[in-house]
Formats: sequence, C-alpha cells, structure tokens
Amino acid sequence: MESDDDMHDANDLESVDEDFYSDVTGEVSDGGDAECDFEDDLSDESDEIVSRHQQNYTVLNETDIRQRQEEDISRVSAVLSILKIQACLLLRHFNWSVSKVHDEWFADEKNVRKDVGLLEKPVKMANTGEHKCGICFEVYPRNVVSAAACGHPFCSSCWKGYIGTSVSDGPGCLFLRCPDPSCNAAIGQDMINVLGSDEDQEKYAYYLLRSYIEDNRKTKWCPAPGCEFAVDFIFGCGSYDVSCNCSHIFCWNCTEEAHRPVDCGTVAKWILKNSAESENMNWLLANSKPCPRCKRPIEKNQGCMHITCTPPCKFEFCWLCLGPWSKHGERTGGFYACNRYEAAKQEGVYDESERRREIAKNSLERYTHYYERWATNQQSRQKAFADLRSMQSDKLEKLSDIQSQPVSMLRFIIDAMLQVIECRRVLKWTYAYGYYLPEHEHAKRQFFEYLQGEAEAGLERLHQCAEKELQVYLEAEGPIDEFNDFRSKLAGLTSVTRNYFENLVKALEHGLEDVGPNRQPTCTKTSSSTNTADKVKKAVKSRASGNGSRSAPATSSWDSHWMCEQCTFANPNSASACEMCEH
Amino acid sequence: MTSSSAPSRKALSKIACNRLQKELVEWQVSPPAGFKHKITDNLQRWIIEFVGASGTLYAEETYQLQVDFPEHYPMEAPQVVFIPPAPLHPHIYSNGHICLDILYDSWSPAMTVSSICISILSMLSSSTEKQRPADNDRYIKNCRNGRSPKETRWWFHDDKV
Repeated sequence: MESDDDMHDANDLESVDEDFYSDVTGEVSDGGDAECDFEDDLSDESDEIVSRHQQNYTVLNETDIRQRQEEDISRVSAVLSILKIQACLLLRHFNWSVSKVHDEWFADEKNVRKDVGLLEKPVKMANTGEHKCGICFEVYPRNVVSAAACGHPFCSSCWKGYIGTSVSDGPGCLFLRCPDPSCNAAIGQDMINVLGSDEDQEKYAYYLLRSYIEDNRKTKWCPAPGCEFAVDFIFGCGSYDVSCNCSHIFCWNCTEEAHRPVDCGTVAKWILKNSAESENMNWLLANSKPCPRCKRPIEKNQGCMHITCTPPCKFEFCWLCLGPWSKHGERTGGFYACNRYEAAKQEGVYDESERRREIAKNSLERYTHYYERWATNQQSRQKAFADLRSMQSDKLEKLSDIQSQPVSMLRFIIDAMLQVIECRRVLKWTYAYGYYLPEHEHAKRQFFEYLQGEAEAGLERLHQCAEKELQVYLEAEGPIDEFNDFRSKLAGLTSVTRNYFENLVKALEHGLEDVGPNRQPTCTKTSSSTNTADKVKKAVKSRASGNGSRSAPATSSWDSHWMCEQCTFANPNSASACEMCEH
Repeated sequence: MTSSSAPSRKALSKIACNRLQKELVEWQVSPPAGFKHKITDNLQRWIIEFVGASGTLYAEETYQLQVDFPEHYPMEAPQVVFIPPAPLHPHIYSNGHICLDILYDSWSPAMTVSSICISILSMLSSSTEKQRPADNDRYIKNCRNGRSPKETRWWFHDDKV
C-alpha cells in the first residue's frame, strides 16, 4: 500500500526530471554523428516517455466494482425500460457490454428475450386454490409455492434444493432457468434472494461480482496471490503494464509480471523453458556461493553484485562471474562485461559424439548463463523491495534525525530505491531477451550486450550509491556536511539511470532496428561492429579519466558538470559533446 | 465407500422416497406406452422393459433399462443404462451407456422416469442406421471396472438422432 502511493508520486515527479533533462538535451542536441544515431532517435521521442506515464487503466476495489456494475444495470434498465433484475440478466448474457446489449436489443428484441429467457408477458399464478409442485408433486396452498415469470409452480423446499444444487455446481448458476424442462424462463437474483439459503445467496452474489470482472473484455483480476483488486484497462494507447494498488506490477495482456521490453510470447516461452529446466537449475537457486579466494560459503544478502568477503579475506568480487571486482569497476579501467555469454571456443578436431556432447553442454551452459542472471536480478529486486520497506518504516526517520533534514527532503532516497527496483525488473527481462536474440545476428548481439552491460553498470552504480554510500550518513553521529553533495549525486544518478533504462526498453522493443540490414549506409555488419568496438574502447578510456572528476565529491559540485543523457557520463561544462560517447 | 461412482449406494433421502412413490403411483395409473416396470421391492433401482416402436428400425425388439436413483433425486439425475444387449444405435455404447443430454447436463428435477423413457424411445425411433458410436471400443476400454456413465464428460454432438 505504502509503496504504491510512492510509485504514483514517483511518476508525478517525472515532469520535474524532464525539465532537468531538457536543459541538458538542449546543449548537446547537435552532437549526433553516425555512431550515435541510435540514441538520437530515442531522445526525439522523449515526449512519448511522458505520455506513457499517463494511466490507461483504473484499479478497482470491491466497492468500485459493485458501483460500476450497479451503474451499468441502472443504465440498461433505464434505456430499455425493463426491470433492473432483467437488465442484470441481459448484461450477464452479453458479457456486461452495455453497448452490445443496446445493439442486440434494438436489432431484435424478440430473439434476445428468447435467448436470455425474459418473457414478454409474465404468467401470474392464480392467487387462490392449491398448486401442485412440479418437482415433489405434492399439493400446497398458494403461500408455499412460487414461480418465475412463467408461472410454473414449485414449493419453497424444492426451490431451495434446485437453487442449492445449481449454486454448488459453480458460476453456471448465473444462467439458471425455470426447472420445467419445456420452459426457458430465466431465474434472476431476486428469486435467489427470496428462495435460496443464506449461503447460496452469498455465493450467487459472489459469482455475479466475479462474472462482472471475468466475463468483461476490459477488466481482469490482479493475479497477485490474495489480491482482491481488479484492473479496468483502456485499449489502444500505451503499454500493457499496470500497477495494482497491492504494489504488484503486471502485464495486463498475459497477466504475467511486467516484462517490458520482452513481448508476451517470449515471456511465455521463457517461463515454460524455466519450468522444464528447473531441475537442472536447482543448484543455481541455492543462495550461496563459495568465495572465489577463500572458498568460504557466502550468502548474498545485499542487492548489488559487488560482494566483499568478510575479514580477513576481504576479497572483492562480482557475484555473477566470481571474478575480481577490480576488473569490473571504472577505477581500474576495466569495464563491466559479465553480462556477455561467449560460447566456448571449439578448438582442435572433435569426433562426432564428442562434438554432440559439446553442443549439449554448450546449450545447457548457455541457458544456465542467462537463467542465472535473470534469477539473480529477480532476487536483487526482491531484496530491494525489502530494503525500500525498511527504509520507509524506520530508517528514513532515523536519517532525518541524524542529518537534521526534514523527511520531505529525503524523498530522493525513496525515488532512488524505486528506480533500482524498476531497473532490476527491466534488467532481468533483458536476459530473457538476450537468450532469444538470434545467434547469427552478430551486430545486434554485440550492440545489445553493450547496451545491457552499460545498463548493468549504471544500475550497479546507482544501487551502490543508494545502499552503501548511504550507510555512512545513517551511521554518523551527527550531520555531515557532504550530505547535500550526496543528495545531488544520488538524485542525478537516479534520473540518469531512469532515462537510460527508458531508452533501453524502447530500443529493445523496437528490436534494435537501428542495427542491421535496414541501416546499410551507416551500419553495415562490419562497420557497426567496429563502431561498437570503438565505442567500447572509448568508453573504457574516458571512463577511466572521467572517474577522477567524480571521485572527489567534496569539491566537485554537479553544477559544474552536465550528465550525458545516454551514457550517464558526467562531463565538465567546458565540453560541448560527451567525452565518452560523443553525443 | 464414498466414491461418486456409486451414487445409488447411498440410501434415498426422505424427499426422494416421497417423490419416487408418487412417480410409481402415477406410472401404475398411466405408464408410457410400450413400457413395463418390473415390480421389485427396491424403490432405488427400477428395471424397465420396453418394445421398439413399430415402423422403426427397432420394431418388436425388446430392451431393458436399469434406472438407479441417487440420494438427492430428483435434484440429481438418475443413472440410466441399458442392460446388455443394448440396442445398436449411434448414441448407445455396447456396455449400455447412453449419450443423451437430459441424463446429465440438461437434467431438470421437473423431469420424471416417464419423461426419460419417452426421450429414449424417441431417440431410438429417429435413428436411420443401426450402428455403434464411432468411439465405442475406446470408450468401453475406459469404462472398465464398472465406471458410471455419470462420470463421463459427455459431448452431445448432434440432436438429430
């Protein structure tokens, strides 16, 4: 609940961030050369990013659902001048589409009445005398028997049994008809409420409510376990991602969790693959890995991939590839590359069986590679969720006391954490994307891996800052002067990372169309791969040098720098194009 | 013991008893034409004998139906099967099971044994070909161990025959 409100707030803040960016974009808008076309196209669409955040769905609680259902029933009842109970039966018959009811009714009322079981002329039972129940064949006085509009009399105990049998069979009871085999008259909720047992009345009402969501083309229940909200979706604009009030974010189309930039079909394939391979994967799911140096088992209990073994070992390594972290960071000029899967090189001559074994092993290894990264990001995301909750419930106030800052001024920390959660989600799905990216499209793969690597590095930077660097201020005795620098650094990282990920999602959704045969003039297969390679080299170089300016937070204020909106690199104001990506 | 394959094992409820007694009296006054209830002292299982209608493929052939009533008859449908040999009919399996909607999904408590009998007779009379259902062998194999037809998920393909 709490976190959901924050999500909305985060979206509200969007406009502020856009402003923050538009200045930056203005300064570098003419910097596009062939290499950077890809990102240029994306920044042109920045208006779309804003519009995407306008909601194209509504989350409904039970009261809302009842109210809407009641409104629809009243509307139909008024327009067709029929009883509400009849309007309800009609709507149910046409899957709660008011317009469909109107169309069909005015096209052929007689036929609709016949199909639904609404009699034109109700038959009244004689008010006096005795009536024979059509089920138990006993004779009763008038006050014990009842009938639907058709006038077929049944005694109250047989009605109760008839309704009870139908309700216990399930939602089919919403289509209940008169027990007489030759009669078609519909039995509505009014009859149920008079003649059914209390329990059956309750169940019937529940089925009716469920039907309003489940049979309606525009609404679905939130798939989160135990969640009772429904989502009303407006087709035609924006993505399928919806965020329920229970904080579950899911794809309205396939009801799996939100999975942009991957499409629903790929997600289904990936999930099926995971369940089929899950036995092989069990060992991966174990949460511990031995420290690559001292071999003591380590459980990952923090969100980012940068692991430091406990003293005396203190070895710093990457959780994903178990390689030393020094090879990953900007500090040493290494670059983040453990998102990349390099098929084992085949050397020498293999005989047939050996070759086949090798292929099988490689394919499992390849899958394992992607699965592990997918699952690890998922776990990190859950951890980040837990961190967010603990921050909101407890730490934020503590921090506010220590640093003598009002809680409202600490909003940027929550924003950063929400961004981490969102990035983990996107990153996770990029691994499913990568798994299904055709092997032979080398240029695309290379470019994809470059973008993914950058995304991962950017997120690690944000996660590190929001998790580890924050710790200093949380543990301090009193206010620390540098807190304001920390604020601008984290806020800057948050918006830069958000922008990068939004662009990444778009690029992947468009199938990396900037790479490949349709871009022959600038990006033939060879030239694009050299371009990428060049870019990578430059990235390495400039990041190593650029790092200096950022690692002195006490003196360098963000005012004297502008951040490249694509690569997140902080350039000195004197530079007119990004030193890293030349944007 | 509680297996649903034996709905007829549970004794009839009081409502069911009353209703069956009324049906039996009604039957004795005016039985459906061509049908004969074999008198037993078992109210819960009726054995009914009938002769195919004249002028149809089944004219002058005699068949026996076994009707078992569940505890909550008539809210639940009775189980109706032919005692083999069953008539050769595209909707009747060689083990006696009958593919007829009113015996399953379309049952209504306002129906009676008498109305079932008339439906079965009319089903036979409208047949133009004496043959078993296409899936007879497969179905019989699945029905070993005395499975009740009420456990089958019936598809009522065509209502012409």
